[in-house]
Order: sequence, then structure tokens, then C-alpha cells
Amino acid sequence: MDFAPSYTPEQEAFRKEVRSWLDDHAPVIEGDQDSPENYAKFRQLGRDLGQQGWLRPTAPVEFGGGGMGFEETVVLYEEMSRRDLSIPPYYDSGGWLGGASILVWGSDEQKQALLPPIFKGDVVTWQLLTGPEAGSDLAGTQTDAVRDGDDYIVNGEKIYVGGSNGVDMLWTLTRTDPDGERHKNLSWFMIPADLPGITIRPMDLLGDGGEGVGSGVKNTVYFDNVRVPAERLVGGENNGWQVATTHLELEHGAGGSVARNLWFARALEWARERRLNGRPLVEDSDAQDRLVEIYEKTEIQRLFGIRNFWMNRTHQAMTYEGPQSSYFRKLSGLDITTALHELFGPYALTNDEITDFSEGALDAYQRSAIVALHPGGTADVQKVLMARRIGMGRSEAERYKAGKTVE
Amino acid sequence: MDLSLTDQQEMLKQAVDDFVSRDAPIESLIELQQTERGFSDDMWRTAGELGWLGMLIPEEYGGSNTGYTDAGVVFEALGKGPVPGPFFSTVLAGEIIKELGNDSQKENYLTRIANGSLIATLAMSEPDYQWGVAGVQLTPTEDGEDYILNGEKSFVYDGHAADLIITAVRTGSGDNDISLLLVDTSTLGVSARKLEGFTSSESSVVFANARIPKSALLGESNAITDGLHAALMRATPLLCAYKVGGAQAVFDLSVQYSRDRVQFGRPIGRFQFVQNHIVQLVIHLDSARWTTYEALWKMDTGRETEAAIHLAKAVTSDGYRQACDYGHEVHAGTGVVREYGLTLYTRQSRSLFHALGEPRYHRKQLAKLMPTLQLDDE
Repeated sequence: MDFAPSYTPEQEAFRKEVRSWLDDHAPVIEGDQDSPENYAKFRQLGRDLGQQGWLRPTAPVEFGGGGMGFEETVVLYEEMSRRDLSIPPYYDSGGWLGGASILVWGSDEQKQALLPPIFKGDVVTWQLLTGPEAGSDLAGTQTDAVRDGDDYIVNGEKIYVGGSNGVDMLWTLTRTDPDGERHKNLSWFMIPADLPGITIRPMDLLGDGGEGVGSGVKNTVYFDNVRVPAERLVGGENNGWQVATTHLELEHGAGGSVARNLWFARALEWARERRLNGRPLVEDSDAQDRLVEIYEKTEIQRLFGIRNFWMNRTHQAMTYEGPQSSYFRKLSGLDITTALHELFGPYALTNDEITDFSEGALDAYQRSAIVALHPGGTADVQKVLMARRIGMGRSEAERYKAGKTVE
Repeated sequence: MDLSLTDQQEMLKQAVDDFVSRDAPIESLIELQQTERGFSDDMWRTAGELGWLGMLIPEEYGGSNTGYTDAGVVFEALGKGPVPGPFFSTVLAGEIIKELGNDSQKENYLTRIANGSLIATLAMSEPDYQWGVAGVQLTPTEDGEDYILNGEKSFVYDGHAADLIITAVRTGSGDNDISLLLVDTSTLGVSARKLEGFTSSESSVVFANARIPKSALLGESNAITDGLHAALMRATPLLCAYKVGGAQAVFDLSVQYSRDRVQFGRPIGRFQFVQNHIVQLVIHLDSARWTTYEALWKMDTGRETEAAIHLAKAVTSDGYRQACDYGHEVHAGTGVVREYGLTLYTRQSRSLFHALGEPRYHRKQLAKLMPTLQLDDE
């Protein structure tokens, strides 16, 4: 076994290349991460990465990806994470999930047209899944798409969408056969965000940044007789659920991660800086116990992430691992916020400019850990998925069907 | 990065699995559990012959010195049985002798541990129970070239079966003034009895005017706590691996039962409350598995291991116990029928919960590391 990537000379050479490239290209970020100025810098970095094929390192070269293997990708992720950058360096989970789905289900023409802008960082894409009537029951969507000549006319509403810095492309699941059999009446569309009839309006949420915290802005997207060209239908009419299965699996955590949950390191650093009765807080035995709670949760998260990353990148048959990692992350997030609250007392809740020592991070996490319970499927949905994939109460044949996964 | 077993480890795992299904089926383990000795000498001999006891012992003493992860694979497969016997106790004793023994002690004991002809264990804790050297109060008196021992060691795993008991004694007034004696259990005045109850192999060892030669000192008097700590830490993940195997078996049993058991006209695994038990069970199982194997890997690759080992022990002790609790929730009445077999694991999940220190003890050690802990990637 080897829990650390072992590096070949080629990898080390690549690491040097990445480091020196990032020295030249990584932006200097000061102040609010989400300010328009900083966002523009992150977008530019995304385009620069895209030119290198590093924005979507494992995607095929012919569609603008990097065509890179597991070992090179690991190096790239490590070097980005060393600088507190992610890939992509801005919110684009719609591009990640949508891109993966189009790679599987798109026609050649669609792949040529839709993928390079995503993989090169030219567009930002949002996923539109939840509707007012369809939360955990995604297949129950009441957003309709009706064929009209060369177009579909889309009407309906999706919620908990996107972020605060604008969008170019939207993809969504619509109902194309209202009387049809469940799961066989849906179609998946990639839709330009500037089509007439689309309105995007921010929601008022717990972690929405409205009080100066976090990047949790989410929107409602209204479709009012939006005319979407039929060539934007991916995977064929009434095959949308199959397309969605591809990205839902990825969203359920099957992709894994080699990155560490930063909250242990943060809590440890603050506990070393802050004082109690004239001594560093970290020397207090109760404080140490709280740190151990956080350590334990974040270490297990990290190990589940590494396992999934390794299984995914080496193309092993995965079953319950994705939703397990997702479920554990969601629930341990709440445990960690409780431990932080005990560790730092009321400081855990305030983002007051003068009083707060965490630059808003603690308050934001107390909220975002709650918000994080639902995206990508609620904690309960993750458990339902695990039960199916493990095959509880099911024959092996049924389990096999439920255990289909994607790379 | 590669979390798969090597070909050699796969072969080892297969060999132990084959041994378990051929020689240690669950029915025979249920019978064994009710015997005086609690394990099978045949199974013990086989393990010795197949080299499973010498995996951490240098080749010059007849071992194969193959490494901690390899040994972990064997212990996981044994725990899956769950094969009872003084496997871990003896391997732990080997680690202590390897760390602290002189050449003739190593020659004498390690060769016999490696080939399975010596059963050995460590006796630390006492009637005023607490894990760690602070709990060592048994104080010998000196008589010429001998120590005279009077008193009791409690909760000694496999003490009733051991040929050799490494006995920790207090030999000075300082906190760390502890010494280790290699006590041959045939010595006059040394007796052991297995403790009955919801235990596995815990024993009480009584010393009544037992005369132990000073040549039986393992390491220097009052200078062994570091070496003992190092050996205990190195052996701990193997005990964790044994528990991982047990938790895996409980998971497998529970999933199968969720398919086979029909109530209200459907397999119980279709009920979401039942599903939740197994969901929680597999989280405990996988947490135990990956903390354990990461600790083993860190040992094999010379990394800093202190935090990883304490973490693994806390997580696997809790994890095995909880895995069994959830297994019982799934199985309800069936789970407590002795012949079904689930309680073999449950008993071990309890008995091994406190072995080498309760989760509370290991979390306290982790806590003490917090002021200075370095993250791997720093």
C-alpha cells in the first residue's frame, strides 16, 4: 500500500514545471475572495490553465482537456492546493459535472461545440437540478420542455442554483413527456444563460453572504417560454435520467479528493495563537480534547477522500463509497462546528469586524455546514444510495444494477 | 498512491482465509469459546508452521521480517474468523524482546516465537486498574541474585496459556522506574487463571514468593519505558487490524441477514431504519480500516507514526464495538443466539476495547500531541 503518491522523475520534473508556471500566473489575492476584482483574476487564471490543458487535466485533449494520467493530475492538484487554489480556481461545478455528462452522452457535434469552452475556461456553467416541487425527488421536476419546430419551449423554475458572479451556460433536467413513465419522461438540456425568457434572482438564505459571510449565494432561475434550440438536447429525448445518473454519481462524492479539510489546521493554528489564563489555549486540556474531535473527523474524511480518489482514478468498481464519503462529510461538518463552538465559545458565531479573529471564517462555517446538508443530495439521500449500492435487502442482480458507477 | 494489497499480501490473505474456512469454521469457534483454554493448539501450531508469528522477527532469529502491513493483512484475516488464540499477545511480546532484549534473550525467545513453540504475553495492569506504566505498582524484593515477586497482575491477555510472561514491575520511586522481567510460567509460585465473563482471554496472574533471577531482566532496570512504549506502539496497529477483520465479518453477516430475513412480507433490508444500522456500521468499518492501514503504511515507510497509531486504536476500538452494536440491531433476537456466531465478534469487540488502552486513553495521548503536532503536508 502507498497512501502518498510516489513520484517518478517525470512527475518531479512536471512538478517543477507547474511550480514555475504558477509563480508566473497565480494571481495575488487580497481582501474578499469573492470581490469582482478577485473573481476576474481567478477567471483569468482559469483561462491560462485552460491553455495548458490543466483546467480539466483528465479530459480528452481533442475537446480542450489535458489528456493527463492519474500521476500527473495528482501533482497538479497538489501544487494548486499548496497555494490554496482549486481546479478550477472558481465555482464551476456545473462545468465539471455537465462536462462529464456530455463526454458520455453528447453527440460528436455537441462534444465539439460544448466541451472546449468549458475545458478551456471560457465559460462558467451552473447546474439546475432542484425545483420548488422536486428536491430529493429530482425526477419529479415540473419544468417542462415542449418541442416546437427546431426548438423546445422551456417553462418552469429551478432553485438553489449557482453563485454570485454570473454565468454563461445552464444545464437542467426537464419533463418532455408529462404522462410518460417515471424516469423515462425527462430530457437534459445545455442552455445558454442569455436566452430571452431566463431570469436569475438571488435567494435569501442562511449562508448567502448577505450579512457579509461566505460565498453561499444561490439563485432562483425562472424559465418563461424560453426557446432552446433542439441541438442543445443531450442524450436524446426522454433519456435525461440516464444522463443525470452520470453527474449525480460524481456529485455523490465518487470522484474523491486528495485535499485535506482545512478546519483542523485552522483550529489548531488559532488555538496556538489565542490565550487562556495567560497560557496558549492549545495547552488547555479541554481545548485539546475538542481539537482531537476535529482531528478525528477530518482525518477520516481525508482517508475516505483518498480511497475514492484512488478507486476512481484507477477505474475500480465503486459502489457505496461515493455517497459514504458525502454523507460522512455532511454529518461530520456539523460535529466540527460544534467542537469549534466549544473550543472558541461565542467567537465561533461572530463576524464582527473588530471582535472576530477569523476574518469571518468561523461564522461562515457555522452556517455553511448546515447549508451543506442538502447539495448533491441530502444526507438521507446519501444513505438511501448506500443501502441500494450495498444491496441491503436486495439480490445480487439488483445490487449490480444499483451499483453502476461512472469514471 | 496505491491502496491495493501487493501480490504477496493477497497470497497471505488467501492463505489465512483458506485456513479459517478449512480449520476454523464458525461452529468450531463457538465450541472453542466454551473450553477452558479458549483456543485450539492445532490452530496455533499451524500459524507457527506457516510463519505468521515471525513476520516481524529478523531472519537471523528465524523470522521473515516482512513488515507491518503484511502482518496486518494476516491479523485482519485472523480477526475475520474470529480465530481466538495468543497470536497478538505473542507477537507483541516479540516486539518488546526485539526492542529491549540482549543477544542471548533474542536468540532464546525470538526463535521460538517465530516457529510457534513459545506462547508469550505482557503483564502490565494490576487490580487497581489503569492502562500505562502509572498502573505498575507490583514491587519485587531483592534476594541475592534473585527478585522475589508477591502480588497480582490483572487482565493479562492469554496469561493462562503463556509459557513466558513479560512482567512489568516497579523498581524505583520515579514515575518511569519500571523494569521488565521475563517470567517463565513454570516457575514455582507463578499461577494464572482465566477470568470468566464477557471476556475473551483475560487472565489473572498471581505471584506467591516467586523467585525470578536477575538475569531475567529485559533491558536495563529503570530504563525501559521508552523501549516498551516504542514496541507497544509498533504492535498496536496489528491489534487494530484484527479488529478491522472482525468488523468486516459483522458487516458481511449483517448485509446477508438483511437479504435473507423477511418480515412484513419483505426483506428487512428494505426498511430504512434497518438500512441506517448498516450504513453506520460500514462507516465505522471503513474508518477503522483506513486509519489502521495508514498507520501500518507509515510504520513500513519510516514516517512519523505517533498520532496515526493513537488515532487508529481509538477509532478501531470504538468502531468494532459499534459495528457489533449495529449488527445486533439488524439481527435482533437471532444475533444473541450463540450458535449463530455474531456474539463471538461482540465478545471480542468488548474484550479488545480496552486492550492496550481504551479509546479514552488514546484520545488523551493524541490531545497531548496537539501543541506540537505537525501535519504531514506541512
